[in-house]
Amino acid sequence: MIGKSVPMLDALARVTGEVDYMVNLRLPNMLVGKIVRSQSPHAKLLKVDTTNALQVSGVVAILTGADLGANAFYGAAIKDQGVVAVDRVRYVGEPVAAIAAENEDVAEEAAMLLDIEYEELPSVFDAQEAIQSGAPTLHEKYPNNIFIHSKLRHGDMDAAFAEADEIFEDTFTSPLAQQSSLEPHVTAAQWDGDQLTVWAGTQAPYMVRRVLSENFGISQEKIRVVVPSLGGSYGGKGHIRIEPLVAAMSRKTNGRPVKFLLSRAEEFVTVTKHAASITLKTGVKRDGTFTARQVTVYWNGGAYADASPLLVPQGMVRAVGPYRIPAVHVDSYGVYTNLPPAGAYRGAMSSQATWAYESQMDIIARKMGFDPLEFRLKNLFVSGDHFATGETLHDVHFVDCLEASAKAMNPSTSLRAKVGRGYGVMMKSTVSTSKSQARMSLADDGKVTLFTSTVEMGQGAHTAMAQIAAESLRIPFEMVRVVGPDTNVTPFDSTTSASRTTNMMGNAVIAAGTSLKRKLIELAAPLLEIPSEELLAENGKVFAKETSISYAEILKRNNLNSLEETGEYSTASKMDPETGQGKATPHWHQGAGAAEVEVDTETGHVTILRYTSAAFAGRVVNPHLAQLQNDGNVIFGLGPTLMEEMILDGGQVTNPNLADYAIPSIRDIPLELISVCIESDEQELHGIGEMTLPPVAPAIANAIEDAIGVRIKDLPITAEKILHALQEKSKP
Amino acid sequence: MILNVNGSRHEVKAEARMLLDILREDLNLVGTKEGCGVGMCGACTVLVDGKPFSSCHLLAEQVTGKEITTIEGLSRDGNLHPVQQAFLDKGAFQCAYCTPGFVLTTIALLNENPSPSDNEIREYLSGNLCRCGSYQNILQAVKAASEMI
Repeated sequence: MIGKSVPMLDALARVTGEVDYMVNLRLPNMLVGKIVRSQSPHAKLLKVDTTNALQVSGVVAILTGADLGANAFYGAAIKDQGVVAVDRVRYVGEPVAAIAAENEDVAEEAAMLLDIEYEELPSVFDAQEAIQSGAPTLHEKYPNNIFIHSKLRHGDMDAAFAEADEIFEDTFTSPLAQQSSLEPHVTAAQWDGDQLTVWAGTQAPYMVRRVLSENFGISQEKIRVVVPSLGGSYGGKGHIRIEPLVAAMSRKTNGRPVKFLLSRAEEFVTVTKHAASITLKTGVKRDGTFTARQVTVYWNGGAYADASPLLVPQGMVRAVGPYRIPAVHVDSYGVYTNLPPAGAYRGAMSSQATWAYESQMDIIARKMGFDPLEFRLKNLFVSGDHFATGETLHDVHFVDCLEASAKAMNPSTSLRAKVGRGYGVMMKSTVSTSKSQARMSLADDGKVTLFTSTVEMGQGAHTAMAQIAAESLRIPFEMVRVVGPDTNVTPFDSTTSASRTTNMMGNAVIAAGTSLKRKLIELAAPLLEIPSEELLAENGKVFAKETSISYAEILKRNNLNSLEETGEYSTASKMDPETGQGKATPHWHQGAGAAEVEVDTETGHVTILRYTSAAFAGRVVNPHLAQLQNDGNVIFGLGPTLMEEMILDGGQVTNPNLADYAIPSIRDIPLELISVCIESDEQELHGIGEMTLPPVAPAIANAIEDAIGVRIKDLPITAEKILHALQEKSKP
Repeated sequence: MILNVNGSRHEVKAEARMLLDILREDLNLVGTKEGCGVGMCGACTVLVDGKPFSSCHLLAEQVTGKEITTIEGLSRDGNLHPVQQAFLDKGAFQCAYCTPGFVLTTIALLNENPSPSDNEIREYLSGNLCRCGSYQNILQAVKAASEMI
């Protein structure tokens, strides 16, 4: 079953418009929720007077900071964010109050009548300005605005740089961007006494449950989190976001459920991609080997830490690159500014980091006269090499990924004018410590239900898990259905993110299926009067040479209505906080890309003639879904490469809509796009949700330089930047 | 006010409301989705007398007397419309939030131009956005549908 291109389990519903997304959720007596947001980037909140707003007929309740009490603050790692603002606002768009009303018009009217007074404070928007002395402090506990500093210390830098023949120092930037799932954040909540049910468009139902339990001081068992299929997410619905606000609001409505559906403009102030500035200082010898690399990264976390304390350490190890470099130091800083909070954006941190190190690879190759492809192949990690954390790398396929990408480019053929080729390779960690559980239940009609808290958000994870379940229990795929996530029913899973599901949940499903199969064999042995060691399972039956018995029959003959087993898979990696030495990740994600572009030097327009991507998959579960993910990565990656950038004026997003914030359309995709999955003898299951995304930007920038001789170091690569660079280049 | 939707007449409240809201809230035709609210993403596409329009951008009054088709109006006698079948065959979706819009725009395209070139398809579908990036399969689905119809 693994390796087959079966359609998604609910493929039919996907073409008839019948998928039950959160936006469709209707509950009896449901109220509409509306968030009233700060118009100031940084201010003391002097007054939130609800008197007039509460007079509006149809307003049921209003939530303000005064309602929150002791547990006013929440966060995935640092509890710094008010469920709504308590006494201070720190970005334009921060929730100041929430309204529950009979309908949207009423909520809008009430929102206008809220009397809010601010006392403006100085604000700062750039991460490197925010760490200067004299910059305004956002949170008193972090006077210099640095809320996390992750360090990697490997080797003697002075000695290593002294050995270099050339030292390169370059800075690369990525702007603020937005995940832009077409379905926005939608969450509903309802209290029944001290029991809370939350219907959440989230990637992490168990994290939502834990954080809500801490906030409301009730045990986790009293909270139920249900997640339907999501209309896209791309990291934006990861961790914890509007759920505490929705739960707190609905606590004031006498048991009536409240549903919040954010507008497109609100999406832009709810979560963003970290703006980043990355400086790489790299020492290279004339023979084309590296001596040292020093990396300094400033991640603009926005006004609240949100997921950043979990992501910045990942951003540290992801900033090094997939090459043998004897001495490496990294300083990765998470910095508060008066901007919307940043979170995971598909290829989180890796995209910004790969943009930097793969762009610099071509700068080095060009200056030192190396072929960019050969220079990479010569230095790429192979199995058995040691990473800068000191860990030994296994099942390493960077070379395979790059060669597969390059091969489709026919690198030996010559190109016409203004056409160029470029390459990119990425090395990415996954969640260092996490756990997945899966429960499989076999009914006496032979059908199997897989209970999993993996979130289906379009990636096809439920289908892939059903395939793995079918294979591990040796039953036809059609016999499997998938239920979840529903924390009252489906067992624990850390999160559906960081491309961890196929690996982590996949192995939990294998564990559940394998032990269920073993149980069935043991139960069948006395019925068949054959020792269990001589029995095998296949196609829903336990069999020996001449005889067999179906799973359904085994249950019936044992008077069992059902038989179930839970499987678990967990990983724990740890690095020394001062040196980054240890193990960064249970395994490394590997991907590459090759681009052939044509640049119109009159207009600055870039046409992607061909793009080939390769992802290391270990063992492909569903080739069709894998192709969609890999193609999707490349196409998604074209956004931040060529067009996506949130424009800000005094902390206010001035393009919070899909007219002024462009995402790729079908007109923007490469004229020819090929995706390849690399498998290995180890046959481990690996996620592929992001592998081919981070190489896109540098591969295209490198191809542009190959085509017209200009180097862009600041994303996105707009036509204006290309024309400006051409102008600069033509100056004497 | 009377609206003709998917071959049936519906009496709806004639306030100044967007067609999208009437479809989703009053008629429970929730296959039509709101994506951007400003007519840029195509998730809310419906056919009005066979032409694709963003229903988030149309006042209901503008379409009285016209025939409105939503994704729910495509199947006949339990059979998928050939365009839906082609999207299914080519697996031309991931999260599928955009799929109803793509299917309806494709129907309009093939009505106008039964054998579109790749470029014509790209041009015609450029007002429908798929954030998951399933465009290659969508392109294949449109071509497959053009052969089926």
